[in-house]
Amino acid sequence: MAGEVTLVDLVKRFGDVAAVDGINLEMPSGEFFSMLGPSGCGKTTTLRMIAGFEQPTEGRILLDGNDMAYTPPHKRNVNTVFQSYALFPHLNVADNVAFGLKRQKVGKHEIRERVAETLELVQLTGFERRKPAQMSGGQQQRVALARALVLKPSVLLLDEPLGALDAKLRKALQIELKALQQQVGITFIYVTHDQEEALTMSDRIAVMADGKVEQVAPPREVYEEPSTVFVADFLGVSNLMDAEAVGGANICRLQLGDFELDATQGKTDARGPVQVTIRPERVHLEPQESTGQNHIPGMVERLVYLGNSVQVIVHLAIGTTIQALVQNVGTEIPWKQGTAVQAHLPADALRVLEDTGAALAPLDEGAVPA
Amino acid sequence: MSDAALPTAHAPTASLWQRTHGWITNPWGRPRFLVLITWGYMVWAIVPVIIAIQFSFNETRSRTIWSGFSLRWYTWDPSDSVMNDPSLRQALAQSFKLAGADVLVAVPIGVALALGLARWRGRGSGTSNFIMLFPLVTPEIVMGVSLLLVFTHIFTFVHTGTLAQILGHVTFSISYVVVIVRGRLFSIGRQYEEAAADLGASPGVALYRVLLPLLTPAIVASAAIVFALSIDDFVISFWLSNGGGTVTVPMQIYAATRAAPLPSTNAIATIMVAVTLLTVLAGFLVYRVFTRGERVAGGGMVGDMAAFDI
Repeated sequence: MAGEVTLVDLVKRFGDVAAVDGINLEMPSGEFFSMLGPSGCGKTTTLRMIAGFEQPTEGRILLDGNDMAYTPPHKRNVNTVFQSYALFPHLNVADNVAFGLKRQKVGKHEIRERVAETLELVQLTGFERRKPAQMSGGQQQRVALARALVLKPSVLLLDEPLGALDAKLRKALQIELKALQQQVGITFIYVTHDQEEALTMSDRIAVMADGKVEQVAPPREVYEEPSTVFVADFLGVSNLMDAEAVGGANICRLQLGDFELDATQGKTDARGPVQVTIRPERVHLEPQESTGQNHIPGMVERLVYLGNSVQVIVHLAIGTTIQALVQNVGTEIPWKQGTAVQAHLPADALRVLEDTGAALAPLDEGAVPA
Repeated sequence: MSDAALPTAHAPTASLWQRTHGWITNPWGRPRFLVLITWGYMVWAIVPVIIAIQFSFNETRSRTIWSGFSLRWYTWDPSDSVMNDPSLRQALAQSFKLAGADVLVAVPIGVALALGLARWRGRGSGTSNFIMLFPLVTPEIVMGVSLLLVFTHIFTFVHTGTLAQILGHVTFSISYVVVIVRGRLFSIGRQYEEAAADLGASPGVALYRVLLPLLTPAIVASAAIVFALSIDDFVISFWLSNGGGTVTVPMQIYAATRAAPLPSTNAIATIMVAVTLLTVLAGFLVYRVFTRGERVAGGGMVGDMAAFDI
């Protein structure tokens, strides 16, 4: 089946700035592939190069084995769903969807059939005569999808297509998009800065930073087994701590201040200064008097009520502050501001990471357009 | 506590002074003084025009003493009405000829230049963008004299008269077209062209099927403005005229007012005002119709023209 995209040593420079700095990616046919990263990481530029709106400075873009890096966009068998939708405001929905078919000189009868078919696919039957401006954001988004899908491209490129929608609609459309992709079976290359979006829909995710790919893996692996500090920090909240790896092989012995901890995840064979990370939901808070391996005493600094859970910010005796997530199970949690606790960081939740030096993402997950 | 919960019920009523003072100084109230100033200005600006129009319908030869309504100076005066005075008829014809030719030549060239300038990146693009604005800021008299010198000394194949006048009008009109169309180009951005290319449209098809329809309102608006500017123009028409058949309405009015003014001068001026207003109104209406539904996205015509003031 067609629709395999391969990027080979892809570089794009604007002046002195390398927006994309040597990317190698393979996106097999029929995959839902996401490029995830903060704004300025090069994900949109990469997508625009695949679409043909930008020419790479170096490298190759292969579609089913053929280099198309210098093919103009109107001759590529890929279609794009734009962040702003870019629906032609002077054409109604049917004419918008038919635009590409007319360029391919498809017969009138077939155009009508395929437009109707595609509008049904995106559940917009009956909207043929509407102008884009007379539709809601979610409906416009579907028109944009239909306009691209009607051409039966081998690859569909999506540039933050849900970015302009409100949270609830976005969630609903995430599920729909994934279902649609499985239905049509073509390669989706999806660009987003929203980790939840990427985790929900993708078969595989490429986490990008500073024009480079940090990690390519299925959603569960990028989240559970981040290979770099950047990935750990960008996906969800991670507690990052400086440590000294002092020994061990399968179990890495770590020195954090005056405390010795074991870690069984990540680069356990590392030596010297490393970073360790643990997800907030894996941190167990125990009463002050409890003891055991991988326990560090601390003091509750702040409690943040999040609805389904409570975020507890704990200042550890080693000087760093970590977050713990306590599920809301209906009982009041015993910790208050100022309570002395023991933070249990289980060895199988502690991950030793190498630091690639990529700029860490800001902690807030606000909508930052790329 | 229940009584004290409504402190305003017992508060003293504001005095008349407090209320009027508040009425005037409340920054969130309606802008009454601005409204007053606006209306004052509109009256000031429009009264002379109304009076001029009024006397075009005067029954007698006076342009100051009103003696009754008639269409004498438009139609039935055997020698001095617009219809029967050959010099007035000729001036009207010349003005429309120049304005029509100006629109036909300046608008296509201006649109092409706007497209080129908006897409041109790199060395020289800033300079040419700036030079485009030159005719807008050059005093017209300077331009008129310079054009005359050019046509009499360098491009001598252009003789003064209608051709020189058209070239003169086109010279200053193009800038307006460029500024308006380029403003619209910036406000619609590159996204539609990219979408068209993405859907398989070659650059030519994208221009014809997507960009030009989206530019239509700006093109119509600039055509209306070019027409109005050309109809109004005195200085350039005057310098490049060779007398006789190349006298335009403004020139005719100027000459008549200095000699023996008749209400027919007012009549021809009234026709000019009406035509200019209708043109601009038509342009505006077309703009509204074409940009219906995208008003939220940009500031509409005002936004597109914000780059300069007409």
